[in-house]
Amino acid sequence: MSESIINKIENFFEENFELLKLESGHSITEDVKTEALNQVLYYWKKMGDVAKKVTETEVKLTLPNLKTPKKRTFTIEGVVDIVREDDEVWMYDIKTHDPDLIKSNTDFYEKQLNVYSYIWQNLRQNQLDHTAIISTAYPSTLKEALRSGNLSLIEKELEKWDPLIEIPHKSQNVVDTIKDFGKIVDDIEDNEFEPATVDTLKQPVEGTRTLFATRVCRNCDARYSCTSFREYAASGKSRTSYRKYFEDYLTDSDKEEWVNSNLDLDKINQD
Amino acid sequence: MKELSLTKLYSLVGFDPNDNQKKAITTIDGPLFLTAGPGSGKTRVLLWRTLNLIVFHKVKPEDIFLSTFTEKAAYQLQEGLKSLLGIVTNENNIPYDISKMSIGTVHSICQKIISDRRFIDSDTRKPPPIVMDELAQYFHFYRTRNWDKYITEAGFKDHEDANRTINEFLTGKNHYSRHNAVKNSIDLFNRFSEECLDISKVKSKDKDLKKLLKMYGLYLEDLNRERIKSVDFALLQQAAYETIISSKNSKNIFKHIIIDEYQDTNTIQEMIFFELAKGAKNICVVGDDDQALYRFRGATVENLVEFKERCRRYLRTEPKTINLDKNYRSREHIVKFYGEFINRIDWKKTKGKGHHRLVDKKIHAHRTGKEPAVIVSEHANAAAVYSEIAEFVQQLKTSGKIEDYSQVAFLFPSIKNSARVAGFKLAFEELDIPVYAPRAGRFLEVDEARLIFGLFLKILGKPKHDHHASSGLRQFQNWMNNCLDDADEVISEDEGLKQFIKDKKAEIETVCNDFLLLTKTINKKKWDLMMPFKKEMARTLASTHGLSVKAVKNLTNKFFENTIEKRFKIGRPFTLKYILNRTSSLDWSILDLFYQLNGFKVFRDMYQLAQSGTDEGPICNLGLITQYLSRFMELYGPVITGQFLNEDKYINTFFSSYSYALFRLGESEYENADDPFPKGRVPFLTIHQAKGLEFPIVVMGSLFKQDRGPSKREEIIRELLQKEGEPLDRIEEFDMMRMFYVALSRAKELLILPRYTKGKAANEVFKDVINNDGLSTISDFKLKQLPKSPLIQDDLGKTYSYTADYLNYLKCPRSYMIFRKYGFVPSRSQTMFFGSLVHKTIEDLHLYLIRQRLAGENK
Repeated sequence: MSESIINKIENFFEENFELLKLESGHSITEDVKTEALNQVLYYWKKMGDVAKKVTETEVKLTLPNLKTPKKRTFTIEGVVDIVREDDEVWMYDIKTHDPDLIKSNTDFYEKQLNVYSYIWQNLRQNQLDHTAIISTAYPSTLKEALRSGNLSLIEKELEKWDPLIEIPHKSQNVVDTIKDFGKIVDDIEDNEFEPATVDTLKQPVEGTRTLFATRVCRNCDARYSCTSFREYAASGKSRTSYRKYFEDYLTDSDKEEWVNSNLDLDKINQD
Repeated sequence: MKELSLTKLYSLVGFDPNDNQKKAITTIDGPLFLTAGPGSGKTRVLLWRTLNLIVFHKVKPEDIFLSTFTEKAAYQLQEGLKSLLGIVTNENNIPYDISKMSIGTVHSICQKIISDRRFIDSDTRKPPPIVMDELAQYFHFYRTRNWDKYITEAGFKDHEDANRTINEFLTGKNHYSRHNAVKNSIDLFNRFSEECLDISKVKSKDKDLKKLLKMYGLYLEDLNRERIKSVDFALLQQAAYETIISSKNSKNIFKHIIIDEYQDTNTIQEMIFFELAKGAKNICVVGDDDQALYRFRGATVENLVEFKERCRRYLRTEPKTINLDKNYRSREHIVKFYGEFINRIDWKKTKGKGHHRLVDKKIHAHRTGKEPAVIVSEHANAAAVYSEIAEFVQQLKTSGKIEDYSQVAFLFPSIKNSARVAGFKLAFEELDIPVYAPRAGRFLEVDEARLIFGLFLKILGKPKHDHHASSGLRQFQNWMNNCLDDADEVISEDEGLKQFIKDKKAEIETVCNDFLLLTKTINKKKWDLMMPFKKEMARTLASTHGLSVKAVKNLTNKFFENTIEKRFKIGRPFTLKYILNRTSSLDWSILDLFYQLNGFKVFRDMYQLAQSGTDEGPICNLGLITQYLSRFMELYGPVITGQFLNEDKYINTFFSSYSYALFRLGESEYENADDPFPKGRVPFLTIHQAKGLEFPIVVMGSLFKQDRGPSKREEIIRELLQKEGEPLDRIEEFDMMRMFYVALSRAKELLILPRYTKGKAANEVFKDVINNDGLSTISDFKLKQLPKSPLIQDDLGKTYSYTADYLNYLKCPRSYMIFRKYGFVPSRSQTMFFGSLVHKTIEDLHLYLIRQRLAGENK
């Protein structure tokens, strides 16, 4: 059974890879692709027992008829997986974020799962006993072990790794979260779109050691036209030098990786 | 629990349905035929009927199929239903959840059906096809590579022969235009698909048609060749139909099938509906044959007109018929006017009994009164009419009869290049009243597009055109020159931008130079480009005299060497050609270039306008540009190589081919689906755009529609499929009548008709209007007879995702605005790709395991 499931996973994976490539018009490198496949295979290895018991996947939860402080009507929507096991019901949210980040940020995830469980329990009148995040990314210790190539260390770290992070679920802060959500809806509808502040950019993202400017902005194509990012880059706090027109902020290896993942000779030169 | 009834709920929301509406809401068994005239409250009836099913008959939302014509209408149904059910919940404390209901356009539901587990009998999962939208389909054919193949294999001599023959055959115009030939072919092929034409079963003696059939066959083969199939919108429906008929369960999955705007459905859709309805037989169709507008997209109004007979044929049951014939929208004079209008021509069938329309429905106005509500302009030359009407509109505003200019709609049979549109626009400009006419211009003509493309032309160079230019091409060349002028103006004010352009040009030159030098070395060595690349070759290449530092580094770094070796070991070595391209590539794409250019002041200011909520026009257009650029990269790959740049290949592809096609297509300006009519501006719409909408005041911009004679497409279909239908020689007339009927029935309080003296003043059927048979003129009309129209803001409510909206906004509101609200396509999204890949695969794994378990339990 297990053998054939690994085959299945590989098939699903290849299909999805092709599909995403077609949909997005770009691609990822072989290495990144392998890492993605490994995450799914490890998920199966570590969490196979949970996976086998999943009763509903991609359950869409909606909380309609809410009002913002400015009296706009809105609906909250979220997606989770549900596992019914003997007499217990679990709600899972699968994330590709790394577990260290999640563990140091449980508040953040608690809010989200509490809203979902509120919908599941109160609106749908379903049983719920536990909520949890499954983090498919390797924890940093495992990453280091993999990098070292030390087989016994890898084995040990793999053994230690638990992708399942239980998040306590209590309904008390749901009201606050929904209220805050409503405030954000008003902001969105009122076209309030100023970027994250320069101060935020200079701070590490909660639960990590990397700066917001590196972790978030560096992945954002709109940084060149962003006042906060430009100010941050000009302030000299960034490690690379400020260039003639604006901070480019892509390393040579980033650029090379991009060419490697996207060069498709079938597409060019034939028209 | 309180006793709940429909009547109680009606009174709770202040809805007072008439008898037929009540009957329609409560008739739920068996096929039901609802004819619904303009403004007869059919959307409301549909909502209440669905509510009745869910609340009082315990039908599960996922067992309901509810489709309508546009995304917007579907959205309104969905949000309307959510809010009504919310009211019910307040009364009975029972929660309702419609997230699993199949509610949407026919296309979106088809897409859902293809991957709906209820339709999959076994474990054999087929990956769902990729859906090509209209533009993707167009470029599929337009690409030289594909077009060449299709026309050659179909037996045409060359482009000249193919384009002229196809255009002549399908439109009677002997044009040499690939653009037209592609458009005409696609229209025909989509019709083939919608009619489920099986090319192996049809025969034609016509040599041109034979070639087109051959091309269609090749196209289908192409789409089916890859591991993941592609479908266009027409074939998407076929794919859904195939899913349905290959599933044993399919006829019992939906307990209720409800289809709105039934007059605009096509053959394949009808097949889908009846197949799904075979089990429960609860199919309810709603529509108005007089408002059928979409024959040109394959719709067949006969689906509605002959619904009774079709029910007998497919379901062996007679449908009940209910006429929703009370109009709640318009004043009586308007209702009478269009009611008489539709009867001005003879709808009797020449062969056999009956009519080509449903004649026994009579629309009555709910708002009775003798006041005039249809008025005409002076009978005068066009310029005078434009001014007269524009000034009258201004008067409506100053007198307080309307609160905002967006309450007056100008409707035209077509907007693009219309002299009438231009004339009215000018008349309003003279009064300083802004108009909103999103489909009037070409998208590429908007300021933001001209500037971006001008800067691209500056950096990449302008393509040369030596040979004779057609008028389309001359326009395009003018456009490029205008783009360059715009760019020059901005560059002259921005030193940084000037430097940036210089540097980018230098990078391009380096890459081209590297490519030529490396090619020389390769030729000298007599290496074959397809040979496997060995590590030693890197050294030879790197020692090429004059090669750039970057290229040398590329060829000699350790990582590169390791990769080469690794690939060799696993038996998948790179080809020399690949290495040549990789070494001489730019490390940015056209989309990267776009985002970098956006870092200069002129663009930063545009972002600023949107960030502060001042004006979203410019940023909407920038967002649309990213979508076009990303589409280009989908077609030709994102990497710009030296080989691609060499001999102007890249600029010819990007400008002369891709951008020129966009230019010819005239893809229109960004429209905000949520808020299509910006306040403060007079909207100019096509009659098709106005479908399903209403306005306090409607001005007919023109009463004339050209008779183009029977469509060749229609003739071909009838001949190939031996189909009957409305007589070919009357189709144009029928369609013209229906189109104007839709336009006339949009007005609530006042309908204004122009009387031009010259040019194409009006179709024959409007002769009475031109001669003014008893209608008041604008100057005679007394404003006090017109009721005031308050500006209605609808708060339907929107759905927000916890992660995609709330969390993303919290992270960075600006990035949320750019990528989520205005749909900018990100250029580098490795993390997103990675996340989606893992998520999707885990989801597939779960689905598979669930199916396995269920199969085990069943055993």
